[in-house]
Amino acid sequence: MTMLQVDNMTKEFGGLRAIDSLDLTIKKGMILGLIGPNGAGKSTAFNCIAGSFAPTRGEITFDGTRITGEKPWNLCKMGLARTFQIVKPFASKSVLYNVTVASFATTGSRKIAEEKAVAVLESLNFGDKKDILSGNLTIADRKRLEIAKALATEPKLLLLDEVMAGLRPNEVDEMVDILKALRDRGITIFVIEHIMRAIMALSDRIVVIQFGKKIAEGLPSEIANNEKVIKAYLGEDYVVA
Amino acid sequence: MNHQHFNKVMIVGLLVAAFALPLVVRSATYMHILVLLLFYAYLTTSWNIVGGFAGVLPLGHAAFVGIGAYTSTILSLQYGVSPWLGMLVGGVLATIAGVIIGLPTLKMRGAYFALATIAFAEGFRVMVENIDYIGPLKLNGPRGLQIPPLETGLTSFMFATKEPYYYIILVMLLAVMLLTYIISRSKLGYYLIAGGEEPEAAMALGVNVARARLIAMAVSSFLTALAGTFYAQFSLYIHPKSIISLDMSFEIAFIALIGGRGSIIGPLLGAMLLRPVSDFCRIYFGDTLPGMHLIIFGLVLIFVMYYQPRGLQEPLSRMYQRLFTRKTLATTGR
Ligand SMILES: Nc1ncnc2c1ncn2[C@@H]1O[C@H](COP(=O)(O)OP(=O)(O)OP(=O)(O)O)[C@@H](O)[C@H]1O
Ligand SMILES: [Mg+2]
Repeated sequence: MTMLQVDNMTKEFGGLRAIDSLDLTIKKGMILGLIGPNGAGKSTAFNCIAGSFAPTRGEITFDGTRITGEKPWNLCKMGLARTFQIVKPFASKSVLYNVTVASFATTGSRKIAEEKAVAVLESLNFGDKKDILSGNLTIADRKRLEIAKALATEPKLLLLDEVMAGLRPNEVDEMVDILKALRDRGITIFVIEHIMRAIMALSDRIVVIQFGKKIAEGLPSEIANNEKVIKAYLGEDYVVA
Repeated sequence: MNHQHFNKVMIVGLLVAAFALPLVVRSATYMHILVLLLFYAYLTTSWNIVGGFAGVLPLGHAAFVGIGAYTSTILSLQYGVSPWLGMLVGGVLATIAGVIIGLPTLKMRGAYFALATIAFAEGFRVMVENIDYIGPLKLNGPRGLQIPPLETGLTSFMFATKEPYYYIILVMLLAVMLLTYIISRSKLGYYLIAGGEEPEAAMALGVNVARARLIAMAVSSFLTALAGTFYAQFSLYIHPKSIISLDMSFEIAFIALIGGRGSIIGPLLGAMLLRPVSDFCRIYFGDTLPGMHLIIFGLVLIFVMYYQPRGLQEPLSRMYQRLFTRKTLATTGR
C-alpha cells in the first residue's frame, strides 16, 4: 500500500543539481521524516512532488496515479496538500477566510466551506482566533494556520515543510501530538524538520539527504546512530537534544 | 436596533436619496455631471471585479467601452437594431476580446500585465481611428459616429432630458454592485482574492489562479461594454478619442485605487471624489491645461496611498462602524 513513490527524481536549476536521482517510498498511514543540512534540497523535493515545478527527470506516483509535472491545484484536488516553509497567509484576510479558501477545494457552497473551516480550526485548538487578521498572527500561529489550510483541503497525503521552526519547546510538543493525531485519523504525512527531538519522536522512518542525494534511510534509532549522518548532517557542533 | 438592522435602514435611506436626487437637482448641467459620475462609478465597479479582486492592474478597459459603444451604434445606425440588443452583442464581443487578451497576459505579474493591457487598448484605438469601413460596417475613422435623434423613449434608448439616463445608469450601477457583493461571497471571489494575494499558496490549495482571473476578466469586459452603449446613447456622438481613450482607462484605475480596490463601495466613493475634480478641471482648465485632472489625481493618489493604502473606503467604513454600530474592525478581517 504505497501512498507516494518517487523514482530517480532529479531537479536542476541551471547548472545546480538540487535533487540528484532521488528514490522515495511512503506507505499509507505512515509518517516519513526528511532531514538534511541547509540547502540539501528538501524543499525542492517537496516543490517537485507538489507540482510547483516539474522535475528535470524522474517519475512521481501518488496513490497509484502518475503525477509527474501535474499542476498543483489538480494535485490538491487529488488529495495532496502541502505547507510552505516561508508561510504564505492571505494577509489582509481573517484566519477563517484563509481556511475557507482551502475548504472550497471540496465544495462550491460558502456555508459548507465555512463550517468545514471552523471544524478544522477547532480540531487544531485554533477556533478562538478565527476572526483575527492572518497578517497579525504570531509565527507559531502562522505555522498552525498553514497546517489548518492544508488540512481543510481534505488531503490523503500531507507535506509539511518545517512547521515547527520558530516554535517554543512546549509548542513543539503540542505540534507533535497534533500530527500524531492526524496520522491516527488516516492521513499519511511527509515532514521536513530541523528539530531533531521532534522528528525522532514523530517519524516511522527517516530519509536523510545531502547535496540532493539520499545518504541514509531507516528507523529513527538507526538514523540517530548512523555514522554517515552524524558526520554529514549533525556535524561536530550539533547537539542531539 | 442591532447593527445589521441599522445597516439595512441605512442602505434603504441611501437608495431613496439616490432615486430622489433628480427631484432636487433641477439644473441640466449638474444632472449631466451626476450621470457621468454614476457612469464612472459603474465602469470602475466593473473594472474592480478583475482589477480589485484578482490583484492585477488592467489599464486598458476603455477598449471594452469602445467595443460596446461602436457595436450597438453601428448595429442601430446601419441595421436598425435596438440599442438594447446591440448592448448585449457589444457585451459578448467585449467578453471575447477580454478572454483573448486575458489568456496570454493574466499569468503575468504586475507591470507586465498592466503594460500589455495599455498596448492592446491603444492599438485598438489607433486601428479604429484609421479604419473607415470593416466590410460593410462603417466606423468612420477619427470622425466617429453621430446618432441622429429618433423618437424618444425607453425602446429607442433616447431621451430628451437627463433624468431617464440618470435612472438607467443608477440601476445599472446598483446591479453591478450587487453582483460584486455576490461574487465576493462566492467561491470565485475567495479564489480571486487568494490568487491575488499569494498565487503560489492559492494554487497549492486547489485554486487555478489563471482560470479564476480569466472568468473575472470575461465578466468585467462584458459589464464594461454595456456602459459603452450607455455612453453612446447618452452623448449621441462617439469617436475614438472620446470612447477608447487612455485617459478614460487611467481615470478608472485612479478612481479604484483612491476609492479602495477590491471593496464594494470603493469605486463609488472614488467616483464621488474624483469626478467633480475631473469636471471642474475640464470646465476651468480644459483649454489652457487639458491634462490638469490627471495631475491632480496623481497627487491625490500619492496622498491616499501614503496614509490609506487600501483606499478611502477603509477609514470611512471604520468611522461608520464606530459611529453607528459600535463594532470595531481593528483586528477582525472581512
Ligand atoms: N527556485 C530556485 N531557483 C534556483 N535555485 C534554487 C531554487 N530553489 C532552491 N534552489 C537551490 O537549490 C538548493 C536546495 O534548496 P532547498 O530550498 O531545496 O534546500 P532545503 O534543504 O530546503 O534547505 P533549508 O533547510 O535551508 O530549507 C539550494 O542550493 C538552493 O539555493
Ligand atoms: Mg527548505
